[in-house]
Amino acid sequence: MRIGNCSGFYGDRLSAMREMLEGGPLDVLTGDYLAELTMLILGRDRMRDQSLGYAKTFVRQAEDCLGLALERGVRLVANAGGLNPAGLAARLRDVAAALGLSVSVAHVEGDDLMPRAASLGLDGALTANAYLGGFGIARALARGADVVVTGRVTDASLVVGPCVWRFGWGRDSYDQLAGAVVAGHVIECGTQATGGNFSGFLSMPRSSEPLGFPLVEMSADGSSVVTKHDGTGGLVSVDTVTAQLMYEVQSTTYLNPDVSVDLASISLSEDGPDRVRVSGVRGSAPPSALKVCVNELGGFRNQLEFVLTGLDVEAKADWLRAQLEARLDPRPAVVDWTLSGRPVVDAASEEEASCLLRCTVQDPSGDAVGRAFSGVGVELALASYPGFTLTAPPARESPYGIYRPAYVPRDVVEEVVVFDDGRREVVV
Amino acid sequence: MKAPLGTFVHARSGDKGGDANVGLWVRQGPRRDDRVAWLLWLVTPAFVRSLVPEAQSLEVEVFALPNLGGVNVVLHGLLGEGVAASTRFDPQAKALGEWLRSRLVEIPEELV
Repeated sequence: MRIGNCSGFYGDRLSAMREMLEGGPLDVLTGDYLAELTMLILGRDRMRDQSLGYAKTFVRQAEDCLGLALERGVRLVANAGGLNPAGLAARLRDVAAALGLSVSVAHVEGDDLMPRAASLGLDGALTANAYLGGFGIARALARGADVVVTGRVTDASLVVGPCVWRFGWGRDSYDQLAGAVVAGHVIECGTQATGGNFSGFLSMPRSSEPLGFPLVEMSADGSSVVTKHDGTGGLVSVDTVTAQLMYEVQSTTYLNPDVSVDLASISLSEDGPDRVRVSGVRGSAPPSALKVCVNELGGFRNQLEFVLTGLDVEAKADWLRAQLEARLDPRPAVVDWTLSGRPVVDAASEEEASCLLRCTVQDPSGDAVGRAFSGVGVELALASYPGFTLTAPPARESPYGIYRPAYVPRDVVEEVVVFDDGRREVVV
Repeated sequence: MKAPLGTFVHARSGDKGGDANVGLWVRQGPRRDDRVAWLLWLVTPAFVRSLVPEAQSLEVEVFALPNLGGVNVVLHGLLGEGVAASTRFDPQAKALGEWLRSRLVEIPEELV
């Protein structure tokens, strides 16, 4: 089974869905739209409009590609539902109707713990979503869904789900599930598996042609080959795949809701040009608790960036700092200064003769870091060090969130698949 | 000899909440087994702190993955309260790996 990826984050290349559908054969096309920070962004969207809270770019991609996916028999599986998978599913049905297409859209829900946040000890959360596994996606596909959208499933679950559906793996098929988690982890970040953000970029072709998105050829035993469509840019090599496996793992055991993966068991080998075989992966029972992505409103922040040029930059920085801090009233909870770089001596350009002094402030209240902060900085424009200039006009304060992981017992989370006809099925 | 860590070591880094996460591994090529053995010996929490002075008082964990030719390193709390809250330059630690690769370290001549 060939499973592709067309998105590594909310904001990734919009044309990638079409490129992946047109570039070669696929059975399933997946997309990851959710990072911890994305949940916060979607949470703020939803605060403004209850019908939002999903990745809007996925709707635009579907408007362009739904017909093409149906024609090619490719199922779409994405976590683009974010905080509102039901809302995204409804929106996709409208899109299909407007295009005159008959499309079965299902969604997976139950990850959103906000309605019970207080009883779960998650008070104060702006968003709280349990990371779900792939079995809900598998049920949706088995019931004929052409499109499955989810909320917070793990990124790898987007590959685990289709494998469970196609190969009929059970809950205890740990080695196979582990193989699918590894394959999913390799392709979840899109072009980071095909030469993007890659330390070995000097050893690969670097044309202006866009990097191809990755795909995996999955086998029933859980092993896979990572590759990309023929003729696309970039590279798939043992090193590009290692890059993706080596980061974000935080241990030698990679925990997922369906399986615990022994990373020390992974074996990689070249399997022809732009093909890497992943085999030998071993898994064991998943942890008893589910991880929860919690975002809280942290407070407000603001920043000013001063340009210091030429001679005596340390003295210029010291004076400005003393002047600004004396006038901050009230003083923000955090006032952080950094001076980046130092001017080149006898520089032949003004830019090389300059460096940047950055002042970042944070406070639980917006007042202390709004105009009360940026205004003080601006008032010094003609009253401070010689050559005073800023890189950007003064801004208002902006809110920021704090992410923290939490853990809840499995039995408090009820994963539900909602089919196209509105029927609901609890995933067991 | 003194040479950049990135002479034959690759890296990728990123964030998990307030923790920075870096993978370091030996690229495919000559003398790989010896280079991997050296890298696994070299990278300890103390070594990481020597390259990243701002991690001096932080908990650092190193996980060896010899099958992949390298290590995964977690620098706890380097990013404060996380990407949205961090005042750090490069709040998501996206370029931390490339910074580490540019640091000069003592590499046995026969491995270069």
